[in-house]
Parts: sequence; structure tokens; C-alpha cells
Amino acid sequence: MSYLQINAVDVSFGGLRALTDCGFAIKEGEITCMVGPNGAGKTTIFNVITGFLKPDRGSVSFKDRALTGMTPQQIVAVGIARSFQNLRLFVDLTALDNVLVGIRHQFGESVFGGLFRPIHTASSQVAVRARAMEILDHVGLADKAEIFVRNLSHGEQKLLTVARLLATEAELLLLDEPASGLSARALEGVMDLLRRLQKDGKTLLVVEHNTRVVQKIADTVLFLHQGHLIAQGTASQITSDPDLAEIYFGGVI
Amino acid sequence: MDFLFSYLVLALIYVLVGLSTNLLVGIVGIFSISQAAVFGVGAYIFANLTMAATSMPFILALAIAGGACVLLNIVVSLPSLRVSGDYFVVTSFGIQLVASAVFVNWVSGTGGANGLPGIPAPEFFGFALDTPPRYVVVAGLATGLGCLAFWLMMRSPFGRLLRAIREDEIAIAAVGKQVLGAKVAAAALAGGFGGVAGGIFAAFMSFIDPYSFDLDASILLLSMVVIGGTRTLAGSIVGPFVMLALPQILTMIDIPSTMAAPARQFAYGVLLIVFMLYRPQGLVGERL
Repeated sequence: MSYLQINAVDVSFGGLRALTDCGFAIKEGEITCMVGPNGAGKTTIFNVITGFLKPDRGSVSFKDRALTGMTPQQIVAVGIARSFQNLRLFVDLTALDNVLVGIRHQFGESVFGGLFRPIHTASSQVAVRARAMEILDHVGLADKAEIFVRNLSHGEQKLLTVARLLATEAELLLLDEPASGLSARALEGVMDLLRRLQKDGKTLLVVEHNTRVVQKIADTVLFLHQGHLIAQGTASQITSDPDLAEIYFGGVI
Repeated sequence: MDFLFSYLVLALIYVLVGLSTNLLVGIVGIFSISQAAVFGVGAYIFANLTMAATSMPFILALAIAGGACVLLNIVVSLPSLRVSGDYFVVTSFGIQLVASAVFVNWVSGTGGANGLPGIPAPEFFGFALDTPPRYVVVAGLATGLGCLAFWLMMRSPFGRLLRAIREDEIAIAAVGKQVLGAKVAAAALAGGFGGVAGGIFAAFMSFIDPYSFDLDASILLLSMVVIGGTRTLAGSIVGPFVMLALPQILTMIDIPSTMAAPARQFAYGVLLIVFMLYRPQGLVGERL
């Protein structure tokens, strides 16, 4: 059984081909890093996997189940959730509320439950809040629970996006540049968190530019260029290939 | 004393419409400027039902008016699911103009520009609630229930979902939640509040005309919410009480009666600008 399998995906925006015959597979329990120069199609492939974008051609399957045609909501329910490069947090809500929004199967999320069974809603929220606090604690933000997101530091906001993903209970997490723009100390924190998630049984697909981070966390590295997978291997294989370095730092094939 | 009670009744009614407006505009972020149209449809439906030969009971007529406005507000808010922000404001403006045109021109249903007189006051067990002090009970009960529903909703996961939807619909989809259903439910709830408020207004005034439900009225409703405070229950309550007291305060200033109405409009306008500049969150609200 293959875990996540991408088969020959094509996506174009008008005349621009974002993905061309893009295909790869990732293994359960691994941290797979996706690298490549800007415009290589990394975020586009995230959009295709999570149902935000319909590919022109090709398919995606998860545990031998076709994802093509599913809505983003259905894909989360299947067990795949993604973060965004520009975070997309709810900045006018507290950190705790951001996680609470993502928690699955809450009573009182429909208008009828909230209005006509207020006591049941309130009592079931006790467990939901405890779960959300547990998740915040797991990413190291327990003491920031009641702080409005716009007052959190950039590093804390990045951790919070991971916390919100964990709330969905998805087993495969797609992280779009979780470590970009962080200080050295915050970077260590994020890498440590990603390794802990792996130990908890999550599978991670991570877009990352920082080669130091890639070398430290990646089990497998995928190298994307012009919307196509051109290399796959361990971190040291990929980083020691002079041709790839040339592409990455501005060369052309 | 009757004067004070009528102020109280009217303010309570506007609190109920204010809740409807605050829910859509403040919490979900559907910037509707056609809430007076929904309020009006509720009032006209209620008036027609109670004035018909069969003279429907108060509660039943109110329920039908509320139910009709639930459906109406869903239809009216539907464009907001497709067009966002500025574009929906224009759409909503159009809806308000259409509603005003119907209120003025559909003479057999609304009495046209002359309005509908003779709407009966409610009667319970032979006891007519036909004076402002008695009617305060009706308005207070309805608005109290409305406030309770608003408060419960804001505390529930549903309220949290709505706030998050206002901020980022894509992020909501990415955590696996439905945007469409929640928006439709909020529009329905807001419609129910508006429709019931319309019925209560009609029964209290015993006479309604299109000028209570025109674009000016919609803007007054928005002003109440903005000045009271968006996104909070307290804001929806404070706003109408303050804004309806304003004309009374203006009557204490010695100005010719022909100037009274323009002076009121002027004061509302100045207030809106001042609040937007110096206190955008209103008296007791959260920042919009």
C-alpha cells in the first residue's frame, strides 16, 4: 500500500505551467522535505493535495484512496491537513480560540446545538478546551493561551499554525515553510517540535529553504524544479549534487 | 410618562434589529446595508396577517413574519457567498432600493406611500396591550429572548466559528470546517431577529409606512451598531438607546421645527464620522 502518491500532475495558470508531469510518493512516518527554487511549484502541489486546486491532469491518492474531486474539508477528514506560508491565523482571536476552531467533532458548532442545548454545549466544551490546552502545551504555547494572536511574536505564530493543524487530528501534515524568517533559537524550537511530531506518529511533508534545517530533519528530500520532480534522495545526496546546487542558486538546465 | 415608555419600547425594538445587524455586519462580516428592508418585510407581513378578516393571533403572525424573514435574509445574503467585501455592499444597496420600491408601489399589499393604518395591538386573555407602558412587556420579552440567543450563540463554538470565518475563510476550509452552512445559519438567525422586530414594531405603531424601512433607516441601524459597538451584545443594546435619545436632546435646543429633521440627520452624520475617526470600536464594542 502506498501512503501518499502523486501521479503525473499537471497544473497551469493561463499560459504558465506551474506543475508538469509532477509525481512522487512519500512514506508513512517519515519527514519528507520539499526543496527547489522559487516558482518550482511547491505551494501549488500543496494546493493540489489538499483540494484547494484541481489539477488539469493526474491524480493524488492517500492510502490507495483517490483524493481527486474531494473538497478541502473532506481531505482533512481523511487525515491530511496543511499550513500556509503566510500563516492565515485568526489574528483577532486568542491563541486558544485559534486552536479551538480547528478541533474536530465539537457539539454546538451548528446554530441549533448552540442555541437550544446550551448546557450540553457548555459542558462538552470543557473537554474540548482541555484538549486544545494540551495541544498548545505540546507546541510550547500553553502560557500564551489567552493572548490575542496579533500580539504574539512571529515565531510563536508559526508554532500556533502547527497547533491549529494538530487540532484537526490529521495524520499527514503539510507544512509550508515552518522555519522561514525565524531566529536561531526559534528555529531550534521548530525543528525540535517537528521531530516530536514524528515520534507521535505523524507523517510530515515540509517545504523548506534552509539547507541546515533540511539536513537535520529530513528522512527524504524531494527536489522540484519548474514544476517537475528532478531528484529524490537523502539530504546529503541532494545537497552534495553540484547540478542541483547550480539550479538552486540560480543556474538553469 | 407615556413618552418615556414609547422611547423605551422603540429602543428595545431597535435593539432587536441591531442584534440582527451586528450579527451579520460585525460578527460574520457580511456588510449588509439592507437590514431595514428585512425589518420592513417583517412589519408588512405581520400587519397584513393581523388586519385580514380572519385577524390572526399576535404570536402566530409574529412567528410567520419571523419565518418569512429567515428565508428572505438567506436569499438576500446569498450573494455574499459569491461576491465579497465592497461588491456585496453594492449588491446589498440594490436589494434595499428594490425593497423600498416595492413598499412604495405595491399599494394593495403595503398601502403605498400612504402606509397601512389600523394594525391591531395584541390582546392576551381579553387584556389589550395597547399603551406604551403595557407594551413594554412585549418588547422587553422579545428583545430579552433575542439578547439571550445572541449571548448563547457568541459563547458557543458556532459563534467562534463565525468570528473565525470573518477573518479567513480559506483557513477555515483548511481545518476542515464548512463556511457555507455557518454563513447561511447566521443569515437565517439575523433574518429571524429582523422579522420579529418588524412585527413588534408594526403592532406598537399601529401605522407603518415605507419611510420607516428605507435606506436612511438602514443607515441609522448601521450607525446604531457602529456607535454602540460592533461584535458585542452590550454594543447592540447601548447603540439604539443612545441614538434614539439624540432627537429628544435636540428638541431641547431652540431651533425652528422645519430644521429639526435635517439637524437630526446632521447630528447622526457628524457622530458617525467622529466615532470612525476617534473610536472605531464604538462605545462598548470591539474594533471593526
